[in-house]
Amino acid sequence: MFKLKIKNGHNVNIAGNPDKKFLPTRHHSSVSLSPENFRYIKPKLLVKENDSIQLGDPVFFDKLNPDIKWPAIASGKISKIVYGDRRVIKEIIFEVNDDKEKSLQPNSPNGLSSKEGVINYLLEKNMWPFLKQRPFNKVANPSDNPKSIIISLANTAPLAINHHFTLSDQQEYIVSALKHLKELTDGKLFLIVRPGEFTYLSDLEYIDLVEIEGPHPAGNIGVVLNHIQPINNKDIIWTVEGHHLPILGKIFSDGIFDPSITINIAGPCVKKPSYIKTRLGCPVDIYCQDNLTRDDVRIISGNVLTGKEINLDGYTNFYDSSISIIEKSFERSFMGWLHPGGSSKYSIFNAYIGDNKKPYRFTTLQNGSERAFVPIGAWEKVFPMDIYINELARSIVANDVDEMEQLGIYECDEEDVALCSFVCPSKTDVGGIIRKGLDLIYFDG
Amino acid sequence: MNFLKKILERSGKLFEKGRPLSWAHPIWEATDTILFSTDKQTDSGPHIRDNMDIKRTMFFVVIALIPCYLFGAYNIGYLNDMATTDVSRSMFENFIFGMSYVLPILIITFVSGAICELTFSVIRRHEVNEGFLVTCALIPLTLPPLVPLWQVFIGTAFGIIIGKEIFGGVGTNIFNPALTARAFMYFAFPTRMSGEKIWAVLPDGNTGATALAIPANSPKNIASDLFSEASNVAPNYFDFSLWKMCWGLIPGSIGETNKILILLGAIFLVYVGIASWRTMVASVSGLFFTAFLFNILAGFSTNAMLTITPLQHLLIGSFLFGTVFMATEPVTSAHTNKGKWIYGFMIGVLTVIIRSVNPAYPEGVMLAILIMNMFAPLIDYYVVKSNIKMRIARNA
Repeated sequence: MFKLKIKNGHNVNIAGNPDKKFLPTRHHSSVSLSPENFRYIKPKLLVKENDSIQLGDPVFFDKLNPDIKWPAIASGKISKIVYGDRRVIKEIIFEVNDDKEKSLQPNSPNGLSSKEGVINYLLEKNMWPFLKQRPFNKVANPSDNPKSIIISLANTAPLAINHHFTLSDQQEYIVSALKHLKELTDGKLFLIVRPGEFTYLSDLEYIDLVEIEGPHPAGNIGVVLNHIQPINNKDIIWTVEGHHLPILGKIFSDGIFDPSITINIAGPCVKKPSYIKTRLGCPVDIYCQDNLTRDDVRIISGNVLTGKEINLDGYTNFYDSSISIIEKSFERSFMGWLHPGGSSKYSIFNAYIGDNKKPYRFTTLQNGSERAFVPIGAWEKVFPMDIYINELARSIVANDVDEMEQLGIYECDEEDVALCSFVCPSKTDVGGIIRKGLDLIYFDG
Repeated sequence: MNFLKKILERSGKLFEKGRPLSWAHPIWEATDTILFSTDKQTDSGPHIRDNMDIKRTMFFVVIALIPCYLFGAYNIGYLNDMATTDVSRSMFENFIFGMSYVLPILIITFVSGAICELTFSVIRRHEVNEGFLVTCALIPLTLPPLVPLWQVFIGTAFGIIIGKEIFGGVGTNIFNPALTARAFMYFAFPTRMSGEKIWAVLPDGNTGATALAIPANSPKNIASDLFSEASNVAPNYFDFSLWKMCWGLIPGSIGETNKILILLGAIFLVYVGIASWRTMVASVSGLFFTAFLFNILAGFSTNAMLTITPLQHLLIGSFLFGTVFMATEPVTSAHTNKGKWIYGFMIGVLTVIIRSVNPAYPEGVMLAILIMNMFAPLIDYYVVKSNIKMRIARNA
């Protein structure tokens, strides 16, 4: 067991933290799977509109790696395929048929005692896209040999779900998922937890627990890896989202694809921020109805730092475990830069009178214009990795691939630097810079 | 307010791309965002942002400088009052007297700075960076009260253009623009930037040497003796005891003399998180270390400067002012935390060396910081290199 204390970072004190309560379960008439949630793939459809479909059936595959297919996330029929410019597949919308889903029969799989067995089983069941890899944060490649597997059960992002709460009744499936995932690597299987949570995992000898303490981004896999097993140039690390573990567990023990997940809906504009028992790619409008304090809001699939904006009639993204809702504000205050402070301003600098103890109602305001970067050490305050982030960002802007590698770009991902963008007084998008560097390396190399 | 907002919004259309005034868009943007905070929305990256921006960052540095201005103006009046036998003024009158010298310098600096910054932002099509306000607020504080205004104008323009804009503007400059201006004026107009007659506004026949000039001009002596001697001899009425040098009622550049206010500024800037305490602490350590070393060596030399104690070094001249407001300038200082220790320490070391070993340049801190500005990228390079080496070793 590793114990890790992270000092640099910041827990954004945003209003609308979810209560540990569930909203009444709603009926989902449609769900959506978007190939755009998966980086660097070239999707090719295996279905047409109005095709009848069963949970887990292949829907599309990656032309670059035809073994990897994506599962239907509902039984029923394909109600719509949304295309974008140049016929890019943006979204596949399923019409859910509950009766058809209930007709699925469990069948215990066998042959899961070897690496090949587990890989082939996941590919055959079209469950492979649940596995992601670092670097690049993309769907893993089944022919790679991961140095280790790491899963975070301690989501420290603002308004994130508490896995200890949401997964409390899924112990059996979690253990099953972990047992089989361990087969995939000759290295270690790391699990990031908060102290005192998931204590039953410490009995499993094939797991290395990493107990983390400290502010966000302490629970990010990139940050933890940087401290316990830094990613070297040719290393591949695999990972799975914590809230997907029960789905994998059910696949491994019962052979059934059950797309149920527990996520939350939270943020300053939510009347009753709470947890919801829902499913992959769920529509957001049914949870927003009568649950918003105002109309002009931005709905985000994911957390407020790294999520993506979606429309009210949109659906949550594949890997996301929360819906965050913040106010769209266009307020322009007179001489705002002279503002003394109080409850209307939030800063990790001591730049305003009053403290940030009260949860703050963040809006979509950028709170300043973009300026040339002035390094007053803001990024370093919230970046707990042994990487010179300022220099790394500069090497990326200069397209210097050698230097990016030397400065540790493989160890970073957008989510690890999201707080740097949050605090940056020059309003630089550090995550965008990191992504640009990773893209450059991915497409060139 | 809504009325003003509407005017800005309507006039803004004239400055959009393709419209007749599009060339002046940076100027409109600057005016618009100074009056009303921007309504710009987050689009990529985090959906929420901290309320700190560059405007407020720069504004805080200016706030930290205001006490130095107020005291500087008072000091000019006070010294004049003291040296003039037939006049007696109240504290407020002294302040007004001093302001009549400080204000023109300040106005000329800002006019010159604004002309340069706006011209460049229009030509280069970059946004007006609030950093120039700090540069312009710093320059007058480093000048003697009797500096001719045309020199201020040229010096400021030089600092902003050569110190900053030719390198690509804020964020890419190598030298601190305010210090570049100061150094330029020091070398271009030596008669008005050094000597005994310019550091205080005094009646004819009186001179006001700065504390640094006293031992520099008198070899074979102990500095402490020279200071107490100077305090007693007319027409140099000025008391150079440690306390007086700390409190700042002595001749000098406008903003440098009161060390207590500078210290308060330092605490404020460190507290809000803008200036680096590492640079400051390292710089003072470097000064103490070198001054102590020179005190030991003083017995082997006739140079009175070597006998100045570390504490006196700290209190005389602009060392503290330079350390707090110039050395910590984030763009031109070392960027890495380890680098800041080396960068700051070397500023302290070089200050004492320049002051003592070559007394022709008594104000060492200006040159020390400019030299270290030059070396800062190199320091960072080696600090980062050690991180790279570690990673390469791990990869092997």
